[in-house]
Amino acid sequence: MGKSVGNAPAEKKKSIFSGAGSQKIIVLLVVIVLFAFFSIFSANFRRYTTVLSIMDYSYYIALMAIGVTFPLITGGVDLSIGTGLICYSLAGGYLVIHCGWPTWAGMLVSVLFGILIGTLNGALVSLMSLPPFLATLCTCMMTRGLGSICSNNFGISWPTSGTEGSWFRDIFKITIGDTKYPLGFLWVLLLVLLMSFVLNHTKIGRYTIAIGSNKEATILSGINVKFYHIMAYVISGLFAGLASIAYSAVFSTVQPGTGAGFELEAIGGAIIGGVSASGGVGSVTGSLLGVFVICLLKTGLPYIGLQANWQQIITGMVLIGAVMVDILKKKRAEAV
Amino acid sequence: MGDIILTMKDIDKSFPGVHALDHVNFEVKKGEVHALMGENGAGKSTLMKVLTGIYTKDSGSIVYEGKEVEFHNTRDAQDAGIVIVHQELNMLGHLTVAQNIFIGREFKKGIRIDDKKMNEEAEKLFKKLNIDIDPTEMMGNLTVGKQQMCEIAKAISHEAKVIIFDEPSAALTEAEIEELFKIIRDLRKQQLGIVYISHRMDEIKVITDRVTVMRDGTYVGTLITNDCTKDDIINMMVGRVIYEDPKTESSVAKDAPIVLKVENLNAGKMVQDVSFELRKGEILGFSGLMGAGRTETARAIFGADPKTGGTITINGKKVEINSPEDAVKCGIGYLSEDRKRYGIVVQKSVAENSTMATMENFVKGLFINKKAENKAAQDYVDSLATKTPSVDQLVVNLSGGNQQKVVIAKWLIRNCDILIFDEPTRGIDVGAKNEIYKLMNRLAEEGKSIIMISSEMTEILRMSDRIVVMCEGRKTGEIDISEASQEIIMNMATREI
Amino acid sequence: MEKIKQNPIVKKIGINRIVLCGVLILMYAIFCMLSPKFAGIQRIMSALNYAYFLGFLSLGVTFVIATGGIDFSIGPVMFCSALVSGYCLTKYGVPLVLSLLISVLVGCLFGVFNGYFVAYWTVPPFIISMASMNIAKGLASVFTKTQSVSWPQSVDANGWYRNFVKMGNFPVGLVIFLVFAVICSIILNQTKAGRYILSLGSNKEAVRLSGVNVKKWEMLAYIICGILVGIAAIFYVAAYTTVQPGYGDSYNNEAIAGCVMGGTSMAGGLASISGTVIGVFIIALLQEGILAIGFSKDYQLIITGIIVIVAVYTDVATRRRKN
Repeated sequence: MGKSVGNAPAEKKKSIFSGAGSQKIIVLLVVIVLFAFFSIFSANFRRYTTVLSIMDYSYYIALMAIGVTFPLITGGVDLSIGTGLICYSLAGGYLVIHCGWPTWAGMLVSVLFGILIGTLNGALVSLMSLPPFLATLCTCMMTRGLGSICSNNFGISWPTSGTEGSWFRDIFKITIGDTKYPLGFLWVLLLVLLMSFVLNHTKIGRYTIAIGSNKEATILSGINVKFYHIMAYVISGLFAGLASIAYSAVFSTVQPGTGAGFELEAIGGAIIGGVSASGGVGSVTGSLLGVFVICLLKTGLPYIGLQANWQQIITGMVLIGAVMVDILKKKRAEAV
Repeated sequence: MGDIILTMKDIDKSFPGVHALDHVNFEVKKGEVHALMGENGAGKSTLMKVLTGIYTKDSGSIVYEGKEVEFHNTRDAQDAGIVIVHQELNMLGHLTVAQNIFIGREFKKGIRIDDKKMNEEAEKLFKKLNIDIDPTEMMGNLTVGKQQMCEIAKAISHEAKVIIFDEPSAALTEAEIEELFKIIRDLRKQQLGIVYISHRMDEIKVITDRVTVMRDGTYVGTLITNDCTKDDIINMMVGRVIYEDPKTESSVAKDAPIVLKVENLNAGKMVQDVSFELRKGEILGFSGLMGAGRTETARAIFGADPKTGGTITINGKKVEINSPEDAVKCGIGYLSEDRKRYGIVVQKSVAENSTMATMENFVKGLFINKKAENKAAQDYVDSLATKTPSVDQLVVNLSGGNQQKVVIAKWLIRNCDILIFDEPTRGIDVGAKNEIYKLMNRLAEEGKSIIMISSEMTEILRMSDRIVVMCEGRKTGEIDISEASQEIIMNMATREI
Repeated sequence: MEKIKQNPIVKKIGINRIVLCGVLILMYAIFCMLSPKFAGIQRIMSALNYAYFLGFLSLGVTFVIATGGIDFSIGPVMFCSALVSGYCLTKYGVPLVLSLLISVLVGCLFGVFNGYFVAYWTVPPFIISMASMNIAKGLASVFTKTQSVSWPQSVDANGWYRNFVKMGNFPVGLVIFLVFAVICSIILNQTKAGRYILSLGSNKEAVRLSGVNVKKWEMLAYIICGILVGIAAIFYVAAYTTVQPGYGDSYNNEAIAGCVMGGTSMAGGLASISGTVIGVFIIALLQEGILAIGFSKDYQLIITGIIVIVAVYTDVATRRRKN
């Protein structure tokens, strides 16, 4: 009897260790079904402008999701990306609007600011061993305060289309002839490919997965775990910085005190896309697909007569659902 | 067999209160498989930890490839070519096999990790070892046996000259063991020195060339495997003088009522079809080597782990136990082998720990009746002679023996009739040990029934009225104390050749 | 130093709490020096208003942290409670007493929700917090159609509930809050529930193996937290009357700060209600002081963040040293 049992759990284990691929296909199907659903029930939804608006909403969430995938895979989390995004955008925008800095310099400041906060998060988690959710909850609040301080508590309007220095808006939505094209999607795709490469084919990615899989064993393998653990948060911060540029470009006006809740959309997207809340598993492409589920809900719900706020409730539920699926999978794998 | 590659001479190592290694000698030749045997706690692991630099020796010398060496950590030892394949694997389930083997020393092409080359190299390694594993498979998807093969491959890729296998077969299936032996024979052919730690007598006979036996931290002797019998080895393992008088006959009447009857209990691989009876006032010893499934049996009875089959009857009534809560209601108390993790709540006081299982008796209206609680705790502090300044003392500040007494008090306050003591004297000094023994005898006289799991032969022979022996998840024998001897028990606890 | 630590009175109160009281007094002195107006009763009353609702949040989260978990949905849930019950009161004409009960009920339901998933499904507490934070915000917005709710003023027919905070110049709220703190302390230290909550926070498996239904008690901690959050909502509206949907996040951190500063360990098993109370007063005074010396609320956010980091790191470092 013992012999036959020996092989059985291995068969079942497959579902947890190589399930990421199948989950991606399911999520892709969900995206298609959601799109079809909204299209059928709302004539207004079936328009090119709707696609454009979904894209507009997706950029900053997708960029945050790409970044936050890394801390999530280490078994941690980064809650500071949402308020961080607003803070970086305010800081950069303030320099452009009120100090006369060129647009590119403001953008650069946004990104550098993101990297700085990411490094701080990494240090708190890796060097000081604080629980990740707690450390990043603190930086979440701190960036919110910093954002307001940076902008003197006023909203910042990045250069609007047609004014000087507004070239950066074309990065995300370009008008050729009379038609607008969601160019940003291309950049997001390129970054997804790049970070997929980083996750799967470089040391940073390899050790990110290793830390999430078994931190002790990774240390015993003689790897500088402290450094790579910090790097995961730096990547998250960097992408929050990039997301802030997307946000500035798409919405142009940024209000201090906002941004709370963005992190849920990004983290929710990543977890729907197959990142395990307990670490070790995840893919950047999956996270991107998960983000589209959330963006579709966000833009689609008003078309079928539900307030946009329903999206918050549904996202929360979907997040719990996704985590429960993850837990069930693991339980099944553990049961002999 | 070739030249000697490793000699450990007069190795001495003490821990506070324990003389773990007492001038132990051990040597390994090139191209030999050398078994290291001994009961639990004989010092095998300690010796290997000294060798690989996890512990520092107090005295003695290690000569490796003709030079005296001293390693400061496993990495030093690894770099020199001495590698341990652990029983507990250090694997990263979410990475592939090849990625695991080369973790920390990846091949690179620019900034890109050259997975292709790593897969090829892993493939080559596997070919050399004649193992059929796909290097691109996720480590977590492999069976424990295959994972072990990967660990071996990893060891070889470090250009190991001495490989230590620490109970490699414990988690393997029959077929996997065959495969493992094939690999070990290959390695032997390649003139590596192999240390093989195992309890399984049959494997020792099949795979090893020499056997070194240790007992209580001392070196007993080395035999050529082919020239000795299982009995020779067992005699060397157990041939100690038992200082305390062993029990000569059961103090339980033959017709004492049966309080607990376990039939065909199954729970995973470690508990298979275990059946036994426990009589009123009896101390039933559970003997066996490490990993025999005794703790797992106890946990399954207690409802701490799910069971897959079997019935439990208490005082003639069939009971359904699915959680510790159920078990406690049935009057079973469980004293875990791992006090710190499963026994005590360290940040709580003696009184609070003592009443953990009996809260409802100390609640008056909504509140805890601290007076009654302290009194009950104090009563047991007195009757068990627990050394603590007061019942308000946090248990973290007590010694091991006294912590154990607090856990015992927890179940006595609950008035449990069936007590499962899992390694009750582990990590406890001699004086406290005797007190615990006295206490157990007293409890049995008072009519409590005790299951005592113990890896110490002396303890088993001294305390038990009857002994159940387990080996690899099955009950392999049951014997009355009047007929028991070390040899008989050890024979039951090891597999037949 | 050792001598002071061994002093029986100091030992009884705890060195930690004495230091915190010192910090509280020192802070008050500094703010008085920096801002002459600070010494007046007005400022103190205002700080107290802030301390009440924050105090209830902090008391609640103390129970959750005692189990080794976390709940940072408390701020938005408090707002959700206040909005839903306020909307019932003002738009549907639900009697005041019933509205107040609804407020507590909403908090309690969120507690049940969080506790169920954490205890019975082993969902990580931070995920549940994140989810219910957004569910609370969404629910409040949907329920009120994204409009702010104004609870009745003191002079209005239904205004008597504001007496919970103060009657004339007498700080009724302080009395009620302290009474609740004492009750919480009793629950935590003198009842079966508290005993099990603290014990399972310290060593869940050992408690389970003592035959205790740990899931039930873990869930209870979240429910207690939820109820206290519902009560916090009442004190919030009693102090400020107006509530806006979509906010409340910043109170999470302040409540957690009050709790960890007071000596409750993030690792679970150790909690001090009296410490939490002093911690809350420090945060409330800090908030008032920062406004008084002319800085914006934003500095408060940053300082609170730093306080939490320092407090938790101290705990982490102490435990590491002990091992």
